[in-house]
Amino acid sequence: MRATALKVAAGLGALSLVLSFTQTASAGKLQDVLSRGKLVVGTGSTNPPWHFRDESGELVGFDIDVAKIVAKGLFDDETKIEFVNQASDARIPNIVTDKVDISCQFITVTAARAQQVAFTVPYYREGVSLMMVAGGKYPDYAALKAAGNAVTVSVLQNVFAEGMVHAALPEAKVDQFESVDLMYQALNSGRADAAATDTSSLAYYMKQNEGRYVDSGFSWNPQTYSCIVKQGDPDWLNFVNIALRESMTGTTFPQYKASYEKWFGTSPSDPTIGFPAEFR
Amino acid sequence: MDAFLAQLWIARWPLFDGFLMTIGISVGAIVFGTILGCIVGIQLVFAPLWLRLPFRAYVDIMRGTPLLVLILAAFYIPAVMGLSLSAAQAGTLALGLFAGAHIGELVRGSLQAIPPGQIEAGRSIGLTFPQILANVLLPQALRTSLPPWINTGVELIKGSSLLSMIGVGELLLKSQEVIGRNFMTIQFYVFAGILYLLVNVTLDLLGKSLERRLGARL
Repeated sequence: MRATALKVAAGLGALSLVLSFTQTASAGKLQDVLSRGKLVVGTGSTNPPWHFRDESGELVGFDIDVAKIVAKGLFDDETKIEFVNQASDARIPNIVTDKVDISCQFITVTAARAQQVAFTVPYYREGVSLMMVAGGKYPDYAALKAAGNAVTVSVLQNVFAEGMVHAALPEAKVDQFESVDLMYQALNSGRADAAATDTSSLAYYMKQNEGRYVDSGFSWNPQTYSCIVKQGDPDWLNFVNIALRESMTGTTFPQYKASYEKWFGTSPSDPTIGFPAEFR
Repeated sequence: MDAFLAQLWIARWPLFDGFLMTIGISVGAIVFGTILGCIVGIQLVFAPLWLRLPFRAYVDIMRGTPLLVLILAAFYIPAVMGLSLSAAQAGTLALGLFAGAHIGELVRGSLQAIPPGQIEAGRSIGLTFPQILANVLLPQALRTSLPPWINTGVELIKGSSLLSMIGVGELLLKSQEVIGRNFMTIQFYVFAGILYLLVNVTLDLLGKSLERRLGARL
């Protein structure tokens, strides 16, 4: 019986070790982050040009640069960040459970999501664009549309793919592919006349393959990208908003602009001097 | 093929890191799970009923829940309770608890397969219960548990790929990161699959040779 008691004690000891937890006090996220000395950012690592690992294994992309803008605003040092790698469906849970201070991971703003987390000001507007091989049969959107059902569009497989393409090219044939490389391959091999996918992905791909492809000049399906923070802390939300807004309209615009050019290959227009246009 | 090899060379260190992470997490989980499983298995056979029930519940819950659900629970439930586990810690915990239940069950089976006469014989020559356990029962039980134990190890190595869901940089996530950059989807998934296969076949062979050596001494 004593032996049994010993066994029980050992078992329970291990169990309580697993279950033991510590308590953390909070005096506002902004102060927490400042006194911690680093910003904990949730993001992904598999989607260029937003968040991915370059050949040296470094996390890079537009989302990463946006996080750096916030870190620079906090510490005047954009390296004081700890990135937490998360899958797309972990974006909201990781905010709600305080795993991260902020998530910047091409998060589409929707009213439904805004019920669970607080969205910051937007930093990009995503859309869908069409890309063709340079010097091909169809030079632009008008030509694609005029060709009607003679056009085949390659697209990444998803439930909405057919409807998405038909919103721009009502009669086009839609070829769905399981991965990005197959989608681009269909375009290269001539199996498809155009590839339709996120505007940012196309911009990045065209920048990587300078001169080989052309954009149709038409984009549709707008969606807004913002970072998210936890609800119920207006000071923290306000701080992040200021840091992001000023990178698009004020003193830190050069940082935003450099990053935008690096990943999308085009320049955002400079803020107009005089009346602050965002209040128009 | 040349393009793949060039990309593989560029990505060799991240993939190697991911491979080590997969091995490290699997080893951590199997060690944790084996210790836990031995405790659980012994309780399931010898503990009085009131004590056996919680262990029974643990085993049934762990074995009746999908591994992915366990991983997500280990990642989020401690966070809600104020305990901040890193993704790798939470993942190892989930895999370890999962393995603990399976190993507990197979230790139970092995212990119950030993004829009760052996306990009685041990007792009649004046051995205490811990002595019987250490010298009579466990040496036999652990030997018969070896084949299914190796099998649990193989399951764990494969299951560790699910940790990519909570952002642990193991082999699968590292492969996805490489694919995200160069779009060589099929090549790098096949490569990752081959690595998993190699590790598991090696583990299997190791288990078989161990079985042969131990079997000779039975």
